[in-house]
Amino acid sequence: MKQIALIAVLAATAVSLPIVMGENPYITGIMISVLMMAALSSAWNILGGYAGQFSFGHAAYFGAGAYTTLILLTLYNLNPLLCMAIGIVVACIIALITGSIVFRLRGHYFGLASIAVAEIVRLSVLNFEFTGGAQGILLSDVSLWGIDLNSKNPFYYGMLLVLAVTLGITAYLRKSKTGYYLQAIREDQDAAASLGINLSFYKNKALIISAALTSVLGSLYALYIRFIDTSAVLDLRLSIEIILTAIIGGVGTLWGPVVGALLLVPLAEMLRSNVLGDLLVKAGLVSETSAIGIFLKGNLAHAHVLVYGIITVLCILYLPKGILGLFRRVK
Amino acid sequence: MSFFQPLLSGILTGGVYALAGIGMSLVFGVMNISNFAHGDLMMLGMYLAFFAFTLLHIDPYVSLVLIIPIAFLFGYMMEKVFINRVIHHPHQNQILLTIGLGLIMSNTALLAFTSDPKILTTSYSSSAFNIPGDISISVPLLLSFLITSVIIAILYLFLSKSSTGMALRATSQNREAAQLMGINVAKMSAIAFGIGTALAATAGALIAPTYYIHPLAGHSFLLKAFTICVLGGLGSVVGAGVGGIIIGVVEAMSSTYLSTDWKDVIVFVLFLGVLLFRPQGLFGKKGGQ
Repeated sequence: MKQIALIAVLAATAVSLPIVMGENPYITGIMISVLMMAALSSAWNILGGYAGQFSFGHAAYFGAGAYTTLILLTLYNLNPLLCMAIGIVVACIIALITGSIVFRLRGHYFGLASIAVAEIVRLSVLNFEFTGGAQGILLSDVSLWGIDLNSKNPFYYGMLLVLAVTLGITAYLRKSKTGYYLQAIREDQDAAASLGINLSFYKNKALIISAALTSVLGSLYALYIRFIDTSAVLDLRLSIEIILTAIIGGVGTLWGPVVGALLLVPLAEMLRSNVLGDLLVKAGLVSETSAIGIFLKGNLAHAHVLVYGIITVLCILYLPKGILGLFRRVK
Repeated sequence: MSFFQPLLSGILTGGVYALAGIGMSLVFGVMNISNFAHGDLMMLGMYLAFFAFTLLHIDPYVSLVLIIPIAFLFGYMMEKVFINRVIHHPHQNQILLTIGLGLIMSNTALLAFTSDPKILTTSYSSSAFNIPGDISISVPLLLSFLITSVIIAILYLFLSKSSTGMALRATSQNREAAQLMGINVAKMSAIAFGIGTALAATAGALIAPTYYIHPLAGHSFLLKAFTICVLGGLGSVVGAGVGGIIIGVVEAMSSTYLSTDWKDVIVFVLFLGVLLFRPQGLFGKKGGQ
């Protein structure tokens, strides 16, 4: 009962947030990024957290959704939702090819092969002409049922919906037969196989669900930003950010990815927009004209990946179960 | 163009790839860790060679005398401070730790050296000579191949003859049994990581005169080093050597007969092909996955 009430409060807060905050494009933009990363990380968590198959190539599915949507829109001007659906099909095909090759293997190999597939997708998109190559794809105008897609609010609610669906699927899977099978596979593959669990079927099932959700998010992102290139949607760094968000929140927990995104995305944004440097100067810790102040102002914006690296190392060494894992231990 | 031209330049480049692959394979064999910071360690080697050349005016090939011990110490310390804490953790934690360390190295380099690519131009950087059959051989590539061969020969002797080398191989074969025989496996891990780092940095320094030096240059070499290791069999030093040459030749052939844009794709397709048909690699033990 308490849990349902808590979720209801959370949902009500999330739904009313844009209305309460008013029309502030900057804040709404950050909130959209938080929701997107939370949903991406939750989708990854189904495969990585519950089935224990650490994919380092989820950018491929995100990019499949984003590129399929924008290519179909710019060439044939189809309904955006239809484009999204075709994007899911493309992502699932890539997922099935990956799965059939690598799920027979274990340990290091799955991670390595998932990177190889993602790199093949990235380099192919970069080399083909119909994908815009290195220039990427720019979408000039799009409409859906008369909704104003120039404003940010539809995308806020779109991302929120996908996050809710992803969390719903995760919560359902946890208590379902498939979920128990996946967790059994994560804990001990041989034991799971000896009990008659079809390893590759259930691993592929988790991968397909995860890839389909990731692809929807890619489509939404493409419609929202209206410009994509390989470094934005297919880069290895995106895959790593997705994993990192889950790790920091807590891998294999329902809310871990959400917690991770709430922490990491605003932090990255603060570093990128140099808010942190300004804060340090305002607090009087460093003077604006000193060498350190000038260095921070000039460089801190580039340092957010460095901070990601430091957080990863600290997290693996001191907090391998994530923030929710820590919380659980205290309780 | 003659068929032998890409074959030869592929073999010469492959020698340097082999060096990077052997470093990674040694670490994998002894510690059972996939080192995702390997490419960034190569990048550090490139910058070390660059600064030795611009600041101290030492030829990049001569500067190896400095770079190898520095890199060995760096790797040894890195293992002692970070890597050995996760040696009994799940694979994914080890991978993420090395990814994190790699991000720290590449982005610190980005802050310190900016993203402008640096070019190390020696007097012989673009010189080449012709041999019969209308084949031209690039001088820096040939030099780096010869140095690579010497280093691999020394490493081979070290691993097969010295007591530390034998202890390393024993740890690689069976960590528990090696420990029971009185081998200090923790020390062997640090030594293996130090050698792996030294080999990565050497490979970086060797390609520095023929390649753009950039803080993110390690990325593409990392994936190449993995392909080489998997092709040769994870943990097999001989396999990594052969794998490096194969990758070098495949790359040179695909840039000549297909296009430069697709050469990396071909390498990754080869990688997946190996996983599909021979996951233990060319020289790996059966069931090694």
